[in-house]
Amino acid sequence: MFKLKAVAGSCLAVALGLSASFASAETVLNVTTAGGQNMVDYVKEYLAPRFEKSHPGVKVRVVGTGPGDSGSNKIFEKLVAQERSGANNYDIDVAVVHQKFGGKMVNESLLSRYKDEIRTGELATRATTENALGSNVTGYVMPMFHSQTALAYNSSIIPNPPSSYDELIAFTKKHPKTFGYNGIKNGMSGVSFVTGWIYAYGSDAGKLTEGPYDPQVKDSWNKALADLKDFNKNVTFTPGNAGTLDMLNRGEIYMGPVWVDMFYTWKAQGKLPPSVKLQLIAPGMPGQPMYYVLPKRAENMKLARDFIELATSPQVQAEGIVKRFNWYPGIDAQHVKNELDAADWDKLFLEITPEDLATKGKSFPIASYFNDIKESYERKVAN
Amino acid sequence: MLVSTMDGRQMPARNLLARLLPGGIAGVILQGLLILVLALLIFGPLLNLILWAVAEVWYFPYKLPVTYGTKYWAQVFGPQSDAMASLSTSIIIALTTVVVCLLVSVPAGYALARRSLPARAFVMLLFLMPQAFPNLAVYINVARLFYDLGLNGTIAGVVLVHAVHGLVFSVWITVAAFSGVNEDLEKAARNLGASPLRTFFTITLPQALPGILAGCIFVFLESLDEFTGTFFVGAPDVITLPMLLYNASMEGNYQIASITALILLVPSVLFMLVVEKFMRPDTLARIGK
Amino acid sequence: MPVRHPDPQLLEVITMKQSRIFTLMMLCPALLMVVGLFVIPLLSSVESAFAVGDRYGLDHFQKAAELYGRDILFTMGIVGLSALIIALLSITISGILTLSGNRRLVSLLSALYRWPLFIPFIVAAQCMRTFLAKNGLMNNALMSADLITPLQAVSFLDWSGIVFTFVWKQTAFATLMIAGAMAAMDKSHIQAASNLGAGRVRILFQIILPQVTGTVGVALILSIVTMLSVLSVPLMIGTGTPTMLTADMAFRISSYGDYGVANALGVISWLMVAGLAWYYLKQSMRNNTAGAHH
Repeated sequence: MFKLKAVAGSCLAVALGLSASFASAETVLNVTTAGGQNMVDYVKEYLAPRFEKSHPGVKVRVVGTGPGDSGSNKIFEKLVAQERSGANNYDIDVAVVHQKFGGKMVNESLLSRYKDEIRTGELATRATTENALGSNVTGYVMPMFHSQTALAYNSSIIPNPPSSYDELIAFTKKHPKTFGYNGIKNGMSGVSFVTGWIYAYGSDAGKLTEGPYDPQVKDSWNKALADLKDFNKNVTFTPGNAGTLDMLNRGEIYMGPVWVDMFYTWKAQGKLPPSVKLQLIAPGMPGQPMYYVLPKRAENMKLARDFIELATSPQVQAEGIVKRFNWYPGIDAQHVKNELDAADWDKLFLEITPEDLATKGKSFPIASYFNDIKESYERKVAN
Repeated sequence: MLVSTMDGRQMPARNLLARLLPGGIAGVILQGLLILVLALLIFGPLLNLILWAVAEVWYFPYKLPVTYGTKYWAQVFGPQSDAMASLSTSIIIALTTVVVCLLVSVPAGYALARRSLPARAFVMLLFLMPQAFPNLAVYINVARLFYDLGLNGTIAGVVLVHAVHGLVFSVWITVAAFSGVNEDLEKAARNLGASPLRTFFTITLPQALPGILAGCIFVFLESLDEFTGTFFVGAPDVITLPMLLYNASMEGNYQIASITALILLVPSVLFMLVVEKFMRPDTLARIGK
Repeated sequence: MPVRHPDPQLLEVITMKQSRIFTLMMLCPALLMVVGLFVIPLLSSVESAFAVGDRYGLDHFQKAAELYGRDILFTMGIVGLSALIIALLSITISGILTLSGNRRLVSLLSALYRWPLFIPFIVAAQCMRTFLAKNGLMNNALMSADLITPLQAVSFLDWSGIVFTFVWKQTAFATLMIAGAMAAMDKSHIQAASNLGAGRVRILFQIILPQVTGTVGVALILSIVTMLSVLSVPLMIGTGTPTMLTADMAFRISSYGDYGVANALGVISWLMVAGLAWYYLKQSMRNNTAGAHH
C-alpha cells in the first residue's frame, strides 16, 4: 500500500513537472479579462501582439473569465483566495473587470495604485475613473472603454421602434414574444434592461446612482416589479448577452437589449443582418466602463503598467477601440478624436447621437441599490 | 456482446416473435418507424452540430447554411488559437486522472468486493457523494485549500479534483468487477501455495480486468468532460477544451463551439463503440451492489 | 504459510484480523482522497449554509425559499419528469433488445441507442441550443416536411428543452445498464412464461422487470444525481424563469458573493439526492435480507 502511495506521489510529481514544463523560459504576462469574447479577442488579437513586439521575450497570456458579474467575480474570488492564503504573488498581472468589481476590489485592498505612475494616467478624467458605483477608485483604475446598453431592433420588420419604456410595453402587448431579453442571471444586458425599468417606474436614476443608500427605498418598487412580472409574460427569454444578438440574427426575436460594443463587433463579423439597428429608449438605460486594474502583488508589476499604458494610449484607443470596434473610448474623447478622421469618429454616433448619450445614457446604481434591484427581481418577478 | 447474447437464444426468441406478432407487416412497419424516430432524435442534434461546424454564414430565414466553408476550422487550428494546446492539456489531465483513480480504486474495489466489510454501504455511498452534491460550492472550498498547498493552477490540482469526481465510476465498477471473480479459483490458488499477491495478479486481476478497464473509460471521459472544477482550480494556467467550448458557445460563436464539440466527440464516440467489449452484462448488473 | 498453521480456529481469528487491517489499508488512499477533497470542503460548505454571523440558524434557508422556492419545485419537477421518461424509454428499449427476435432490429437498435452515451453535457447542450431553437434545425425540418407551419414553430429552449437534453443524454446510460442486467438474467423463466402463452408486454413487466429493479434503481439514481449537478445545460438552454438550482447557486455566488444562500441551495439539492439514496439503500437491503431467507 505504501508502495502504491509512493507511486501515486511520484505520478503527481510527474504531473507537476509536466505542468511546470509548459511555462517556458520567457516571461509570461497574465492578462485576465472579464466580459464577452469580443474583449478577449481584442486583448489577444490586437493588444497582445503589439505589446509583444515592443517587449521582446515577453509572452502575453490572455484568459477570459466570461461575461457579466460572474466573469469579474471569478477574478475577485481568485484574488481573495490568494490574498487569504498569504501568497507572495498573485498569478494575475493585469485584470479587466466590471465597474462594480473595480470598487469591490479597491475596498478589499486587492489592487495596486498605478494610475499616477503611467504616462496615460492624466488622459482619463471622467467621473467613472474616480467613482465606481459609490466606491472611490481614484488612482486604481483606467477605463478600457465605455459601453452602453440600448435596444437593438430589426428595422425591416419594425420600422418605427419604441422610443421609451412606455411604448415598449404597449408594443409587447400588441406583438407578444417579439421582444427578448436575458433575465438577470445570464449577462449584464438583461440586468441593464431591468435597471432601466426601475429607473423608469421605481426610483429616479439620480437617487439610485448618487446615494446615500436607504434600505427602505426598495419597498417603493412593488408596483414596478409587479408590472415587470406582467411584462415578462409577453417576452421571450434569451440565453445571455450573445444569446439576444443570436436570436435577433436568427429571426427568433425582433428586438432586445444589447451592449453597444458587442452589437458592433457582431455586425463587423457579419453575424447580424444590416437591417438590425440601435435605439436608446427613454428615460434611459445604463452603461459602464470596463476597468484595467493591477492586482496588489502582481508578479510582473512593471510590465503590467507598461501594458496598461499601451492599452490606454491615444493611438491604441483610436485605432483599436474606436476605429476597429466602434467602442466608446476609455480615455477622454478629445485625446482620441485628434488621432482619427472625422468620418471614423462620427461613425460612433450614427445610431445613438451624442445628445441621446447625454440624456439617456445612465450609470448603474450604487452597489447596495444594485443588489436590491437584482434581489427584488428574484424575489418578486422571478419567484 | 449483446448481439452475441441474442444469438445464443435465437430459437426461443424467434418462437416468441412468431406467437406474439400476428400482424407481421404491421409489426415490421411499427418497428421501422420506431427506429426511424429514434434515429432522427439521436442524430438530428448531432447533424445540426456538423452543419454549424461547416457553416460560414447562416441566418434567418434560411433553413440551411447560406455559405459553407472551413474558415472557422482554420481559426480553431490556426496559430492564434488555443484549441490545440487545450486539447493536449485536456488529454494529459484525463490520462493522469485515470492513473490516479486506478491506483486508489483497485485496492479499494477489491476490499469492498468482500461483503463482510463493516459499514460497507456507507463507504460505497461515500464514493458516490462527489457526484451527488452540486459541486460549485465544494470546488470553491477546494480551490482555497489548494492555494494553501500550492496546487492551484497546476495540472496536479485539476487532476485531483477530476479524480475525486471519477472515483464513483472507478470504485463502483471495480467493486462489481471483483465481485464477479470466482472465489473458488482464488482459494484453489492459495491452497496450491500461491502468495496472496501472486494470486491477486494471476487469478483475480485478469478476471476483473475488463470491468476495471470500463471504469477507466468512464473516468477518462468524465475528466475530459469536466468544466466547473477546472475553472476554479485550474484557471488561468490550465485551460481545457470544455472551457474553450463553453465560452465560445455563450458568446454565440457557434462555429467555434461546434468544432470544439466535434473534437470532444471523437473519443466519446470511439469509447461508445468499444465499451461493450469491456463491459460484461453480468458486471453491469452488479454495479452499486 | 498460514495454510500450514496447526490450529485451525486460531488461524481463523488471525486471518480475520489480518484481513480487516488489510482491507482498511487498501481502502485508505481512496478514502483519504474523498475525505480531503470532498468531505471536508463539503462540511465547510454545509457549515456556511447554517452559519449566520457568529451563530447558527436557518436564515439562509429562509431566504433561499423566499427567492428560489419556485426554482426548488421546478428543479424537482424537471428531474422527476426526466427520470420518468428515461425510465420508460430505457425499459422499453431494453425490453425490445431482450425480447425481440428480429435480429436486424436488435442490432440496429443496439447500435443506435448508445450514441449519446459519452457525449459530454456541454456538447449536448451546444447541440440542443441550435437544434431546438425556434428557427433551429428541428423546426426547420418539420416545416419543410409540412408537419408544422411557420406560425406554429415554438422555441423549446425552456424547461422542455432541458428535459429533452437530459433524456437524450441519460437514456443511453440507463439503457446500457438495464439491457445489460436483462441480458445477464436467467432465461428459463421467460421461456416458461412464453410457453404458457404470456404476451411480450406481460413478460417484460411481470417477469423481467422485477428481476432488474435494482439495476433500474441505480441507473435512475445516478441519472438524477447527474441531472442535479449539471450547470451547463440549464445555463445554455433553460433561459427564462424559473430555472434550475445549479444556475441559481452559480448566480448567487457570482453576483452577490453570497455563500450562505448558495450553500443552503446546495444542501437542499443534496437532501433531494440523499432522500433517494436512502430509499434505494433501504430497498436493496430489504432485497438482500429477503434473499438471505431463501
